[in-house]
Amino acid sequence: MIILKRQRHRFKVIALLLFVGFLLLGLWGIWSVRNYGTRWFSHASNPRLAEQKKNVTEGDIADRNGILLATTVDGKRVYREKSADRAALVHLLGDRNGQIANSVESFQAGYLYGVQSSLLDAVQHLTRKTERRGNNLTLTVDAELCSAIPKAFFSHPLTRGKNGAAVVMNYRTGEVLALVSLPCFDPDQADGETIAALDQPYWNRVTQALLPPGSTFKIVTAAAMLRSLPDAGDRTFTCTGSLQVSDQFTVTEYNHAVHGSVTLRQAFQHSCNTVFASGALELGDDQLRAVAEKFGFNQNFLFRDLVVNNSSYPRRNRTREALAASGYGQSAVTATPMHLCLLSAAVANDGVMMEPRLLKTVKSSAGATVLGWSSSSVCTVCSADVAEALQQMMKDVVQNGGSGSNASVRSMDIRGKTGTAESTSGGQPVNYGWFTGYNAQEELPFALCVLVEDIPEGETGGATAARIAADLFTYLRDHPDRVR
Amino acid sequence: MSKKQKSPVSRLSSVVMLFFLLAFLLLASRDGKMEGYILAVAVPLMIWFGTYLLPKIVPADQLLLSLTNFLCALGILMLYRTNTYYAFHQVIAYAVGLLAMLFCIWLVRSGRGWGTMILLLMFLSAGLLALPVFFGQVTNGAKNWLALGPVSFQPSELVKLSLVLVLAWYMSRRKMLPWLLFSVVCLGLLMLQKDLGTALLYFGTALLLYWTSSGNWLVTGLGLAGGAGAAYWGYTLFPHVRRRVSVWLNPWQETYDGGYQLIQGLVALASGGLFGVGLGLGNPTAIPVYESDFMFAVICEQFGLVFGCCVLLMYVALIWRGTSVAMAARTSFHGLTAMGCTIFLGIQTLLIIGGVLKLIPLTGVTMPFVSYGGTSLVSGLCMIGLIQGVASINEDDLAEDTHLAMLSR
Repeated sequence: MIILKRQRHRFKVIALLLFVGFLLLGLWGIWSVRNYGTRWFSHASNPRLAEQKKNVTEGDIADRNGILLATTVDGKRVYREKSADRAALVHLLGDRNGQIANSVESFQAGYLYGVQSSLLDAVQHLTRKTERRGNNLTLTVDAELCSAIPKAFFSHPLTRGKNGAAVVMNYRTGEVLALVSLPCFDPDQADGETIAALDQPYWNRVTQALLPPGSTFKIVTAAAMLRSLPDAGDRTFTCTGSLQVSDQFTVTEYNHAVHGSVTLRQAFQHSCNTVFASGALELGDDQLRAVAEKFGFNQNFLFRDLVVNNSSYPRRNRTREALAASGYGQSAVTATPMHLCLLSAAVANDGVMMEPRLLKTVKSSAGATVLGWSSSSVCTVCSADVAEALQQMMKDVVQNGGSGSNASVRSMDIRGKTGTAESTSGGQPVNYGWFTGYNAQEELPFALCVLVEDIPEGETGGATAARIAADLFTYLRDHPDRVR
Repeated sequence: MSKKQKSPVSRLSSVVMLFFLLAFLLLASRDGKMEGYILAVAVPLMIWFGTYLLPKIVPADQLLLSLTNFLCALGILMLYRTNTYYAFHQVIAYAVGLLAMLFCIWLVRSGRGWGTMILLLMFLSAGLLALPVFFGQVTNGAKNWLALGPVSFQPSELVKLSLVLVLAWYMSRRKMLPWLLFSVVCLGLLMLQKDLGTALLYFGTALLLYWTSSGNWLVTGLGLAGGAGAAYWGYTLFPHVRRRVSVWLNPWQETYDGGYQLIQGLVALASGGLFGVGLGLGNPTAIPVYESDFMFAVICEQFGLVFGCCVLLMYVALIWRGTSVAMAARTSFHGLTAMGCTIFLGIQTLLIIGGVLKLIPLTGVTMPFVSYGGTSLVSGLCMIGLIQGVASINEDDLAEDTHLAMLSR
């Protein structure tokens, strides 16, 4: 009956256990509000946003060169002057009905409506009784480059009128210079009917479209082979034009090409499917997935300024057939254009992936800096040696007669990888053209990714997306002051 | 101790009373309702009664009382901010709860005929818990409410008290079968009501209390394994449990559907930030069922996460106080009773706040003392009453010791 000394000790242990639980709760609460708070607050279902909008005038948005992209005049939101310019920026900034998810105007509402303003500002507003104006944002984008993207799509017969996406970023700092999704529309002039006639116009394809990356995924497979197969760099592979994986499934080459005896570098240059399929089989599912996850597949990126859907390298239903097809980016492997741009950027940056950023500075209406510029790395995707080898392979693709020759630009050092992915949409087979690459010159350290949807049968990413990439690289070469 | 000297706890309680007086006055002046002014007087008065007067009627631990009263008053304040009707219900429950607390203190102090009473409690509780299975009302997927004329209540809230007493009584006597049987019957009945949150709470308390009483790792481990098995079984059996888990993993998939409540809770937390938007401001009613499940989010939106962490610290202080009462107890039964109540309140708080913060799936148990719900508030105060009863016996024993020591000198 009398209480035991040991029992007393156990009371203490239990209390301690509960305390640890509470500590965990408090830390988790603070951590998650710190990391996700802005995301949660700017969620479309938040009724507080609508309330705040009644009392506060939304702040201005300018691009990196000071071009005013959005401002409020007499209570009305005004965007750029020309219709084409407004349309190019619609997915970045947002439409008037708030249908585009996580655009700057909705995702950064916390700043634009001054919810996250400084205490000093709040006191000033209380004492002076002036109109409450939210913070002004300066973005990292170059508005002119954004406008150039729809034009580039229009200027090539194969991509004219096609849907797609393009994103350009600085791989050293992570600044996003352009981010355009097509089809786009003018938020001021397009009426409901015009918009409804477009194919998923509210979808920001750069961050939301999860599509098979096709041969661009060979960057990941090559990295895995270089890492895990000791002689992969020196070995010669034999491409007979097809590789029978099982009775039902045979890997074939594009246009029935036979590459013969090739090194890994040559296989990458000519985008040989069978070599990478056999490489995937040799690596095994776990090894290939491990490297894919290092490159950001299956990861939940928590970028400060961008919400990007999670790319996936599947964990289930991994048959031999699926594994072989994954080697060249098919079979349920999916990625967003933003992520494929980050792949090139990481390779270009010697294996270090920088966080893509959109906000350069946030300043209060009085001019005080609320948020300054900072860049940070997300992760290291591969060793510097592997990155170096990948850089050489990507150089061959563009500069030595590989599949991406169309992307080459005079007096630039363009490197990259093309992709032609097959998928189905509404039961119909659809082909996607990809190009992801970068310029290796230190003075113009830019990476990009271009996606062209529904390219004509028989065409490739090298014939479509690579041409647009060349146009964008040319713009970067010709306007160094705007983009640096 | 001389009567004129004020203890730090008394001084703190004066500040707490002032805080609630001002808080209710602020809200009342904003909406101009008479009820606000009534509460501005009534709530501090009740705190005064609960903190100063009550220890004069029966010996009780003042710190524990003031913590409890603060949390109850905070609940009433938050409810008044969102819905006057809820606040008045809660005030009545608070008054009933204070009386029930007195009764519980007296019950522990009287200390006679526990054996028969425990036996009676077991059968009564099992019967009470079985009622909703046949006559219950379904809310949020669980069938755990019972309506008696105008009053509806949750038997599982009242049976908590019996559970603690039964566990403590038989564990202190090292008889395993009765309490095990009773726990299994209770858990079974809760499963039949599909009230898995409360079942988890009962299970956790029984398991932890068993470990404290025996220190038997093997049986505790087996119990844990059995509990995990039952949880998995419940997961595969009940669709609403599967739904809660999937909503917890990714609420954003079904923004306007199953995930809506959790998302609104997180949005409220985020808009509160560190220091809150201020009392009376914000938009806490946007959260569905804010009054029971999401009171923590309501508090955090208006007072901020820093204040929310302070509320967590108050629960920690409460647990610390309960544990020290248990440790000072002279008999195993008293110690286990105080510890049982402490564990119960601790786990319950962890479960609900963890659910609101998306650390674990939402279980739908109430936040002790704060959430809207008469039965929940009364049973919470009764638990404090049980702890207080043990505390007062400890005081008596200590006084007796001193007295004896004086005599022997």
